[in-house]
Amino acid sequence: MVANAWIIPLFPLIAFLILLAGRNAFSQNTAAWVGSVAALLSLGSSAAVLMERLGGSDSLAGLEWLSFGETTIRFGIEVNQLNALMLLIVSGVSFLVQVYSAGYMKGDGRVSVFYAYLGLFTFSMLGLVISPNLLQLYLFWELVGVCSFLLIGFWYFKPEAKRAAKKAFIVTRIGDIGLFIAVILTFIHAGSFELAQVFDAVKAGEIPPGTVTLIALLIFVGAVGKSGQFPLHTWLPDAMEGPTPVSALIHAATMVAAGVYLVARTFPVFEASPAAMNAVAWTGAFTAIFAASIGLVQNDIKRVLAYSTVSQLGYMMLALGSAGYAAGVFHLMTHAFFKALLFLAAGAVIVALHHEQDIRRMGGLWETHRTVGWFFLTGCLAISGIPPFAGFFSKDEILLAAFHDGRTGVFLVGVVTAFLTSFYMFRLFFLVFRGERRMEAKKVGPVPRVMIWPMGILALLSVLGGFVEYPGHGLSRWLSEGSGIVPAAEGEASFLVPLFSTVVSLTGIVLAWAMYDNKSLPRDFFSRPLPWTWRLLHRKYYVDEAYGKVIVTPYGWLGHFLAGFDRYIVGGAVRAVVKGVLLTGALVTGIQNGQAQTYALVSVIGLVLLIVGLTAGRLFG
Amino acid sequence: MIQVSGEFIAFFVVSCFVIGGAVFMIHLVRVVHMVLALAFSLLGIAGIYVLLNAEFLAVVQVLIYTGAVSILMLFGIMLTRHRDREEEGTRLWHSVISFVGVGALFGILIHTIYHTPFAGRTAEVEHYSTARLGETVFKKYVIPFEAVSVLLLVALVGAVILAGKERNT
Amino acid sequence: MMAVTSYLALGAILFCVGLFGVLTKRNAVMVLFCIELMLNAANINLVAFSKYGLHANQTGQVFTLFTITVAAAEAAVGVAILFALYRNRNTVKADRYDTMKG
Repeated sequence: MVANAWIIPLFPLIAFLILLAGRNAFSQNTAAWVGSVAALLSLGSSAAVLMERLGGSDSLAGLEWLSFGETTIRFGIEVNQLNALMLLIVSGVSFLVQVYSAGYMKGDGRVSVFYAYLGLFTFSMLGLVISPNLLQLYLFWELVGVCSFLLIGFWYFKPEAKRAAKKAFIVTRIGDIGLFIAVILTFIHAGSFELAQVFDAVKAGEIPPGTVTLIALLIFVGAVGKSGQFPLHTWLPDAMEGPTPVSALIHAATMVAAGVYLVARTFPVFEASPAAMNAVAWTGAFTAIFAASIGLVQNDIKRVLAYSTVSQLGYMMLALGSAGYAAGVFHLMTHAFFKALLFLAAGAVIVALHHEQDIRRMGGLWETHRTVGWFFLTGCLAISGIPPFAGFFSKDEILLAAFHDGRTGVFLVGVVTAFLTSFYMFRLFFLVFRGERRMEAKKVGPVPRVMIWPMGILALLSVLGGFVEYPGHGLSRWLSEGSGIVPAAEGEASFLVPLFSTVVSLTGIVLAWAMYDNKSLPRDFFSRPLPWTWRLLHRKYYVDEAYGKVIVTPYGWLGHFLAGFDRYIVGGAVRAVVKGVLLTGALVTGIQNGQAQTYALVSVIGLVLLIVGLTAGRLFG
Repeated sequence: MIQVSGEFIAFFVVSCFVIGGAVFMIHLVRVVHMVLALAFSLLGIAGIYVLLNAEFLAVVQVLIYTGAVSILMLFGIMLTRHRDREEEGTRLWHSVISFVGVGALFGILIHTIYHTPFAGRTAEVEHYSTARLGETVFKKYVIPFEAVSVLLLVALVGAVILAGKERNT
Repeated sequence: MMAVTSYLALGAILFCVGLFGVLTKRNAVMVLFCIELMLNAANINLVAFSKYGLHANQTGQVFTLFTITVAAAEAAVGVAILFALYRNRNTVKADRYDTMKG
């Protein structure tokens, strides 16, 4: 099966083609079936590949694509530990999301198109994951970007969705350019796009250290764009304008995971450059706390989750930057489970409340939607890092990695972020599910069964997902095996760190409980003494405004100027040429009046011009 | 460099006739007057031929041009029975552009003529004679002469066919 | 002694006057006249070179003889064409002959 891993991305692609061809013929159910079955087939193959890979070794297969000079560009597939794991995560989450969408998208007019896009998205991500070389990876990377554009802007009749799709596409493009430069630089210095050869070149020291740092940083710029790290995070919360299953897919398994995956995939390059590692660690740490603090005060259920995603991605980056390769990948996996769960649960809430997304108008759902409530609670506990949920293990791995790497600052930031995370997640939970109901009962609808059971599976994974690593560091061993990456060291503090972080998370939960459920603390407990902080957080540190002022507005001016230039100068020149031609035509038409004398006159003038032209310079010389 | 000599005076007077005739022909209004001006001009050209020691040509000029062609033209005018006045043209632009174009050509011609270094030699004109001319024509250029005879014949037949009444129309 | 340039200039003047007439005269008969004038201007050049040319000899006069002959033939054919045109279009106005539109 490992040798035939190329078949995995093909299922969603075929589904995409079928759905696109029959988008007007298929009923909603047919479309959902086609998409889900394709994803299920991918999931089955991925599971088979992973099973085989558990015992076997890497597999690399490929065909020659282009050959010029001494360079050959190949395309193919590679299955190593990381790829196999990613294949399973991507196809699994994609399958569950597609099943869930059958309920969520009911009644939408373009379900077939939606499923076609989901199929393309899954295909791109799976292709990205199994790419053995940078060029192929870049192609799929861009495909992922296109799909995110299509899906975020799926409800293109909403102006916000249109804007959000554009924003996502343009902001991630900044990162893509970085990655593209990195790919070219790598090719120039290593002479190959093949990752294996690039790693060998880096290990052998064939690339100067400065260049390695530059390449690593540029790759990281790409990851920053895709994974919504500061300062390119602004597109991610806006991407909430897409349908909720899309948010789940983007945030859990596909789009944003691509950035983390990229860093993990090219980890040997980063390892070779301490400066790049520092940049990754600190960018991740800053993003983590920055996004978590914004998440504290947001009022849109999906936006809170979006900032939580940004923050958790920062966590993963932090882990990777602190040499915690396995920890980062581990958190990527557990995060995929519980973030997908949270989004799907949020989607269920939104469906139940007829597309109400403001948490200030929610409440009291615990009585009516207890199943969803349990799922949401599971997700919250998992993301807050309460044992024995999956998030606990992965988060502690990360904190341990930071601690052992000697990055105390990063470690502390991580701990504070853990506190903030548990606080805002439970704020969300209490506001949505507890308290008195703020909407009339008849407006609260049921949640379809087809939406419930994907959440059930994800909830199960969120609970149990951590036990692939504990006890015995099974996942890290397996991931590090044969890849030449040193596993994070284990030390004495390994007992204290989890305890510490759990206590911190519990404090956050208790505080949220006190403020939003028990009401023993007033809600403006913090915002009253620090109104400007609240405003700052509420406006997301004014990053969007700053970008608007510093980048968008000048670009707008430039655009207007260029538009004017184009319209009046370039267009004017074009119009002048047209006028000239028309005028000449009219003139020449007048000359051709059928009279021999006019023709003779033209001949005479032509003769004069000919003589002048031939003898100009000599005539009067 | 032009010395005032008998030839010069004669040339001056004759060329005045020629150019005057030509200009009158362009500017006169009645068509018959134009024909007369043209005949006058062509007669002047015969005089130029005399100045250039081409007496036979001068005679031929008078016979053919001043005589035959002018009469032919008069016939043409009479037979087409148009009002014998040249109407004032409304094609002002056409005339102006023609004038500019022809003027430019004239400028180029004159400029070229006066800037070309000519040998300034005179041929041994005392040997020129009608007898020698005839000898040249009938010995050296006998084939072109015959060709011209055929041409004249063809032109004669063609003119008759063209000008003759068309049948079955 | 006369310079050849004077004769050439006379020829040029006559040629240009004839050309101007060809281009502007509205009576087709007058256009034929002007063509004759242009031919005569060329003849003057030939004869002038037969006297003052670099290899001056009587051949120039021979050529003039031929030209005059051809010009006579041309005048005859021209007038004949004019008659034919006049019969068909009932006019001799050159600017009314406007069928030569490509």
